Parts: sequence; structure tokens; C-alpha cells
Amino acid sequence: MKAKATGWKLFLKTVIARAYPRIVAQQRERSWIFFDVFLSLLAVSAYVFIYRAIKAPEEYIGFVVLGGAMTAFWLNVLWSMSTQFYWEKETGNLPLYIISPAPKMAILLGMALGGIVGTSLRAATIILVGGILFKVRFSVANGLLLVLVFSLTLVALYGLGMMNASLFLLWGREAWHLASLAQEPIYLLSGFYFPIKSLGFWVAAVASLIPLTLGLDAMRQLLFPSGASLGFLDVRMESAILGVMSIVFIIAARLLLDYMEKIAIREGKLLEIQQ
Amino acid sequence: MSREWAIKTENLWRIYTVRGKRRQPKKEVIALRDVNLEIAKGELFGLLGPNGAGKTTLIKILATLLAPSSGRAWVAGFDVVRESHKIRPIINMVSGGEASGYGLLTVRENLWMFAQFYGISTSEANRRIEELLHRVGLTEWMHTKTSQLSTGMRQKMNVVRGFLTDPEILFLDEPTLGLDVNAARQIRQFIREWLEEHPGRTILLTTHYMQEAEELCDRVAIIDQGRIVACDSPASLKQRLRQEALFELEITHPQGLASEVLEAITGVHRALLAETDGGAKLKLALKDESALAEVIRTLTAHSVQVRHLTKKEPTLEDVFVELVGRPFEEVKEDEG
Amino acid sequence: MKSRLASAWRSFWIATWLGWQIESNWTDPVLFAIYSIIKPLASAAILVVMYGVITGGRFREPIFPYIYLGNAFYIYVGSVMIGISWAVIDDREHYRTLKYIYVAPIFIPFYWLGRGVARFLTGSFAVFITLAAGMLFLHLPLNLAQANWPLFLLSLILGIVVLAFMGLILANVSLLVAHHFFLIGEAVAGALFLFSGAVFPLEVLPSWLRPLGFIMPITYWLELLRRALLPSGVKAFPTFASLSNEELLGIMLGLSVFFGFIAFASFKLCDFLARERGLIDRTTNY
Repeated sequence: MKAKATGWKLFLKTVIARAYPRIVAQQRERSWIFFDVFLSLLAVSAYVFIYRAIKAPEEYIGFVVLGGAMTAFWLNVLWSMSTQFYWEKETGNLPLYIISPAPKMAILLGMALGGIVGTSLRAATIILVGGILFKVRFSVANGLLLVLVFSLTLVALYGLGMMNASLFLLWGREAWHLASLAQEPIYLLSGFYFPIKSLGFWVAAVASLIPLTLGLDAMRQLLFPSGASLGFLDVRMESAILGVMSIVFIIAARLLLDYMEKIAIREGKLLEIQQ
Repeated sequence: MSREWAIKTENLWRIYTVRGKRRQPKKEVIALRDVNLEIAKGELFGLLGPNGAGKTTLIKILATLLAPSSGRAWVAGFDVVRESHKIRPIINMVSGGEASGYGLLTVRENLWMFAQFYGISTSEANRRIEELLHRVGLTEWMHTKTSQLSTGMRQKMNVVRGFLTDPEILFLDEPTLGLDVNAARQIRQFIREWLEEHPGRTILLTTHYMQEAEELCDRVAIIDQGRIVACDSPASLKQRLRQEALFELEITHPQGLASEVLEAITGVHRALLAETDGGAKLKLALKDESALAEVIRTLTAHSVQVRHLTKKEPTLEDVFVELVGRPFEEVKEDEG
Repeated sequence: MKSRLASAWRSFWIATWLGWQIESNWTDPVLFAIYSIIKPLASAAILVVMYGVITGGRFREPIFPYIYLGNAFYIYVGSVMIGISWAVIDDREHYRTLKYIYVAPIFIPFYWLGRGVARFLTGSFAVFITLAAGMLFLHLPLNLAQANWPLFLLSLILGIVVLAFMGLILANVSLLVAHHFFLIGEAVAGALFLFSGAVFPLEVLPSWLRPLGFIMPITYWLELLRRALLPSGVKAFPTFASLSNEELLGIMLGLSVFFGFIAFASFKLCDFLARERGLIDRTTNY
């Protein structure tokens, strides 16, 4: 009989196993395509027309399309990863995850990656369809740097999401509502639809703690001709900061998950069903 | 702690703080009081008690889901609080009435997923899944979505999930809860066979079905209100009561006759009256068998007729009553 | 007939009580208040910043109160639709009580409408906060003394009724779809933002999209609210200049009846399909 996998092999197995329900379920119940992809395109379009109504420069339309696409990843992190422990606790799966040797970060990563199909479809639809419909002119200054910035943004964002998920080990509905509370302020402070520089240096600096802020700012600078003049910091500096954030958030997520698990076990909150 | 014991607890306490509405003071509930247990490797150990006795709390502590308020516990020689990461690869848990898993996945997919969390290769997982599903009679449902299974089938799937990872120590928390008689019997048989095939594996089984504990367990601990009141093999526990003669009488309606009147008769240790359709049942534990005649005379004096009389062997339920001081049904009613 | 009305009323008020218990007890009152204030203000702030960046802070232009007021009252769209449609998912997947509700002698659509009341109340608080912030900090030209209160109240009530019916339609659909991790109500509310004239006049839309705005009851609702609270401001946007208040109210009433019919007809259909397919007590979370 083959020995059971441990270490990074177990990590990988867990990621694949937890991603599986997501990937399969999205094939078996396809109603999400209408609600998650098509409707979100309409919602993003509303912001385009707001800018048209107030006669914004055309590149702002591009900002909205880009921001709308990145919204997909933010919502994936917030609702299909961070808060998922809440549902797992309520359905009785969380204790089974905890008593298994599977790493919690692998379970969370599996959840996130499992949803990436839908997320990517949503983001791609907004970029492609939105770009064509609203005649957005993307002008890629540095393709490799763009890919790097995008990747680092996602890694840091998912790390932040894992830190957030740890709250759900200890709390239930309070954490759920706090996640809901975070949604709009993050849209505001990350500059989804406008350059973050508009909020002033210090607000932008504090907002830069959210990976999306610098990620979006850097992507705008790399995708639009006027992006550089509207950027907060130099792209390379923003990339470096995102790199550091990625490492710090992943490590912090690991520590926070272990710490919160210990507290939850001590206080009996892992099993407490918060009605 | 040496590893000859699969499970050991020492002065284990667990106290919950319960919140009511916002302005009401918090309340402390003692779920476990000073629990000391030692379970040997290879044992099928039963934990018997009514709802709310502390059985599930103990299992959760041993399964590393809950920390004790004080005291210590070890599983396979590892401390449940400080060394939980060493315990988890070698344990598993099945709870009764579980709703875990994902409704949109099939039985096989759910089981495969959980097997991956334990590092089992896909080929090995599939082999075990097929074998175990066959043994519990679920083979034809392997490719059915779990949301379409009946309660009994779902519970069978959960039982398979517990055994699938081939654990050294398995916690079964009321595994036959909600199952019909045949399904419960099938599960019990499966548990017995698995242990015979895997000597050295340990199972801690909690149940409130006395018959289940008698049938399966090498040793049984009776727990009530968080405290272990007895711990021994079912035979030895029942032996305690063999010093007494146990009788069961079917009688007509007791006409206001109280149990205390009968217990006042010399030689009667315990008398329990329970009304039934068209009459009542009287259970007697007599220190002296000759007291039976006086009991019947007392019944006659109260115009109560005896329809049927049986001399009984003590059961675990009798042991429970003896130790706890009231019948199992009464404990359940009080809690209700 | 009397017993049906009694059943409907009983279903509604019990669900209202339940919905409030669920919405209000997740934290202490202070945090609840903070949540109820920050969420709507952050949402409004996004539009305020967008507007401020582009126009250089010209908040006295007529377009700004148009956008701000529309966005403020649009909070009701999300909260009422989410409140009603989410109850299906919540009861089915989280509390697992949907099957018990179904077998009880209550009128299910009224139960769902009742479950939405709590969100309506928290939504009302959010609308109030948003308007107050606009008046205090952004010179929103709301003159409460000059407002047409009868028109405002009548429009508000009609609008909430229509939104409730739309929420009920979503609830019916929710019976048939899986629990994806987003909120269906929020997704639909977000999409309707485009067609309802909430934050820009319909003329901004391409001509082929405008008809969709004209069949949306929310469009007329927001127009009536603007006329009631900002009678002078509305004149700058002549989309409905040819329609009087009474005509707009008549259109709203007609659309209310239409959506009400759709809501209850779709309930019958979705209820039948859900029971036929055994979806009432399934769990689909993944």
C-alpha cells in the first residue's frame, strides 16, 4: 500500500481536492454564468455611462473597464474564499477539514482556484466585451511587467483573503457582516474606477495597504497612455511593494490561521453554529 | 505518556459559557467533570449516556476540535492541545446525523475529496471507496449526487468517509443515529468486521442505544452530567446487578399506587412504575427474592392485578438506572 | 377568503419578526450602527469622488443632486431585492428550515415578503444617512420645507411595493438555482443600475438601450422622488417632461400591478418545478 502523501505533496493534493467541488459544481449548475458574468458586465457599464454623463475623458472609461474586471478577483477572494469557512462551519465540513492533516491554506487556495474559472470568465468578459463596446484603447507599455504586476497583485490579494478567512474560524455572522462592510470601502480606497492619486497622498498611502490599490494603479500606468501622469507611484516601486506584500501576507496568513485556530479550539468556536 | 494507551485523559474538565439575550448574565455549563479514562490499543470502547451527558464534548476534545478547560488528554501518546498536528494524520471522526459533504457532488467524488486531505493517492482512494461502499451496500449509489440520497444512505456514506482513511484511532459519535433497524445493524456488523480485519486499531464509540454498546464494546463507560459514573466491560457492569433479582411485571392500572410504597417493602431495592396502554409495567430490583410475595400482596391490596411476570437478566439500562438513579427515559424527559 | 387573508397576514408578520431577529442580533448595537452608517456612505463616496475628480468639485451643478439622490434611493433596490431573495437561500442552505416552512400552513410569497422587511428598515436608515450626509457636507439642495411630501410618500410606497414584487420574482428563481457564493439580488440590482436612470439620464444610454429604461418601474419611481424632493433640479433633465405627476403615478401603478401578477404567477411555476425536482430541501453550497 502506497504511503500517504505529506508535505508539499499533501498541500498539492488538498488544493486540487478542494478546487474540485467548485469546478465540477460550476459545470453542473450553470446559472452563475448569467448572474455572475452577464449581469456584472451591465453593472460595470453603469459606471461607464456615469463618466459619459459627466463628460469624463475617454481613458476614464478604460479605467472603469479595468476596475470592473479586477472586481471579479476581489469578489472571488472576499465571498468565495474568505467567507467560505462560514458556510463550511454551518454545514459541518469545517471540523472535518480541521481534524484532517490537510493544511488550511491549501484548502483556502483550493477554494480560490476552484472559483478562478468563473472569476476569469467574468474578468475576461468585462475586458473584452467592455473594451469592444466602449471602444477602449489599451496600449500595453510593457507586457512582462504587466503580467508580473497582475500576478503579484493576485498573490498578495489572496494572502489578504486568507488572513481574512482566519476570522471565520473564530467568528461567524459578525465576520460575515464585516466582510460585507469591507466591500464598498475597498472599492473606494482601491480606486477601482478612478486614479487613487485623486484621494490625496496620505489617503492613497494608507489605501496602498490593500494590494488592489497599487496593483490597479500600476496596471493603469501600463495599459493607458495617460496612466503614468495619473499614477500614484512609479510602476517599478509599486511592483516591488506588491512583491513584499505578497510575501508578508502569505506568511501572516499562515500565522494568523494557526493562531485563530488555537483560539477557536480553546473557546469552542469551531463548532459553534452561529444562527 | 507511553503509547500503550491509545487514548488517555487526566482530570479533564470542559466548561462552556453560554450567552442568552444581550442583557442577561452569562451562564456556565459544565460539560465534563474530572474525566479520567484510559483506552487501550485495539479496544472498541463505548461511551454511554443520555443526550447532554458530555459524550460529544469528550469526542471533540480528543479529535482536537476543542480544548479542555483544564486537565489533559492524549491520543496515540500525543497531547491533544500541543501536538494536534501529530494526531490528525492518524484519526478520523464520524458523527451521527451529519450533513457534511457537497450536495452537487456524487458519493464517490465526496469520498475521493476527503481522501485527498489525508494524502491518499487517487488509485488507492478509488479502490478503498469501491470496497467500502460495497460493504455498506451503497455501490449502486456511487455515482449519485449526495443531495439525492436518503438520510440513511447519507449516513452510510459518512461512515465510509470515516473508515476510508484507515485511521489508527476512529471516533464514532452516534454513528447509527437516525438509521433504521436494518441499516444500523449493517453498520454495527461492518464495524465489528473492520476491527477483526485491523487488529490494533482503536474505536471510541458514543451512543445512547444500550443494545449497541452491549453488542459492540469491549468496555463501556457510563457518563452522566459530565461525570464518568462507571467504566468496565458490559458483562462486569451487569454482574454488579446479579446480586439482585430483577423482575418485570405487567399489571393493570396502578390506581394511584406510587413506586415509593413498593420501595418501602423490606427487600425491595428499587421499583419503577411506567404506565402503558391498558395498564402499567413494574420493574423490580430485589435484594431478597422472597420480597416478591410481599410486593404481590401489596398490589392485590390496591386492586392491582398481575397479568404477567418475568425474571430478567440485567441489562446495561438497568446498570444505568442503578448508577444514575433514574431511568434513561426520565433523563431524556428532564432534558426535554 | 377570510382565512386566506388571515394566513397571508400571519405569514407576513411572523416572517417580519424573524427577519428582524436575524438581521439585528449579529453584533452589539454600536457596531450595528457603525455598519449601517459606513456601508451606505462608502457606496455614495465612490460616486462623489468620481464626480469630484472629473468636474473639479462642482457640486452645485444640477447633475450632481440628480446622481446623488438617485444613488441614495437606489439603496432600496438592493436592500429590498436582496432581503427577499436571500431568504430562500438562507432558509434552504443555512438554517435548513425551508422544508418546514413549506409544510406549514402559511402563504409562502407573503412569508418571503415579510423576510424582506428587516432589510427595508436597515435600507431606510442607510438612505436617511446618505441624504443627511449629502445635505450636511456636499450642499445637496434638498429643501425639506418645499418638498412635495404627499407625492414623496405615495411614490415611495408604490416604489417599495414594486421592488418587493421584483424581489419576489428573484426569490422564485432562487428556488431553482444553486447557491452560488454571490447574492443574486445584488447582481440583479447592480445590473438594473444601468437601465433605471438612477445615476444618469436615460439620454446618456445608446438609443437601442433606452427602451429598457422606459419599461423599468424604477426609472419612473426615481423620477417621481426627484420631482417630490428636488422640483427645481429635475427641470434640467427633460426625459419625462411631457408626463405629469399623475401620469407617472399611473404608470407606476400599472407596472406595480403587472409585476405583482408576474411575481405570483412565477411563484406558482417555480414552486411547482422546485417540488417536482425535489429542490426544496437540497443543499448546493460548494
